[in-house]
Amino acid sequence: MKVAVTGTPGTGKTTAAELVETDLEVVHLNDVIREEGLDEGTDEERDSLFADFDAIREWLAEREDDNGFLIDSHLAHHFDADRVVVLRCHPEQLEGRLVERGEAGKKARENAESEALDVILSEAVAEHGTESVYEIDTTDRTPTDVSADIEAVIRGERAPSAGTVDYLDYL
Amino acid sequence: MSDNDEKWGIAHVHASFNNTIITITDLTGAETIAKSSGGTVVKQNRDESSPYAAMQMAETVADEVKAAGIDGLHVRVRGPGGNLQQNPGPGAQATIRALARAGIEIGRIEDVTPIPHDGTRAPKGSGF
Ligand SMILES: Nc1ncnc2c1ncn2[C@@H]1O[C@H](COP(=O)(O)OP(=O)(O)O)[C@@H](O)[C@H]1O
Ligand SMILES: [Mg+2]
Repeated sequence: MKVAVTGTPGTGKTTAAELVETDLEVVHLNDVIREEGLDEGTDEERDSLFADFDAIREWLAEREDDNGFLIDSHLAHHFDADRVVVLRCHPEQLEGRLVERGEAGKKARENAESEALDVILSEAVAEHGTESVYEIDTTDRTPTDVSADIEAVIRGERAPSAGTVDYLDYL
Repeated sequence: MSDNDEKWGIAHVHASFNNTIITITDLTGAETIAKSSGGTVVKQNRDESSPYAAMQMAETVADEVKAAGIDGLHVRVRGPGGNLQQNPGPGAQATIRALARAGIEIGRIEDVTPIPHDGTRAPKGSGF
């Protein structure tokens, strides 16, 4: 099985993915992109590598094994997956988490605005349909609680959901 | 694009998965002329977020815009609601069409949707 754990940077994907107990191989896609050079240049303004989706698809296909994957990345929903978990977090809290993590204010702000506008949720639904998307709100919740919800998705014990939050008031 | 004697404003369209907010301002962005929201639709009637709702909102706003003596609007769209192929949101396109149909001139249409990034980002032209 392939599980995508996506969500705006700061929603807590990496933190929760580390806590998930699973047989799936956990792939932190950002590390892979950097280490394997799966990029096509840099967005200087955002100090971010443009991900090379074709190269990533190839890398994932080559490494496919019996257990399957859990992919941790805000780009994870762009790839083949059986279930797509979308972590959500109120933009004010998300901005706070990113600033605390040491990110620049501008970067924290653009990510918080992306979260307010449901950018990643909308992409995930557009690419996979509402029947494969599992939205999990992490606002005011512990990483352990979030990882338990992800485990429930993996076990097939959670119903798909999308559009359960509205953060537009942040803008 | 605009004659000297025409008055122009900006339509700021925020289009999320569930909701659309239209705010009309003057060209500086400082003065709000009209505002309309699809309403909070979380766990409520999804019809509120349909393109039809966005169109109705735009028609209401159009009356206020005309009453304020504005002839044309530049449009700044933020959010995926207006740009997805399969549109889950109410749709900025519907808003723009409704404004045009109400007799308002449409000028520049700009997409200023934010881009999630954390050392990596999607390539240009993916998704939206
Ligand atoms: N549930 C949570 N509650 C509060 N803070 C959190 C939570 N999950 C993660 N964080 C913190 O927020 C920041 C971003 O978390 P991280 O897991 O790196 O997010 P992502 O991988 O989605 O960008 C980190 O500093 C982390 O310690
Ligand atoms: Mg991470």
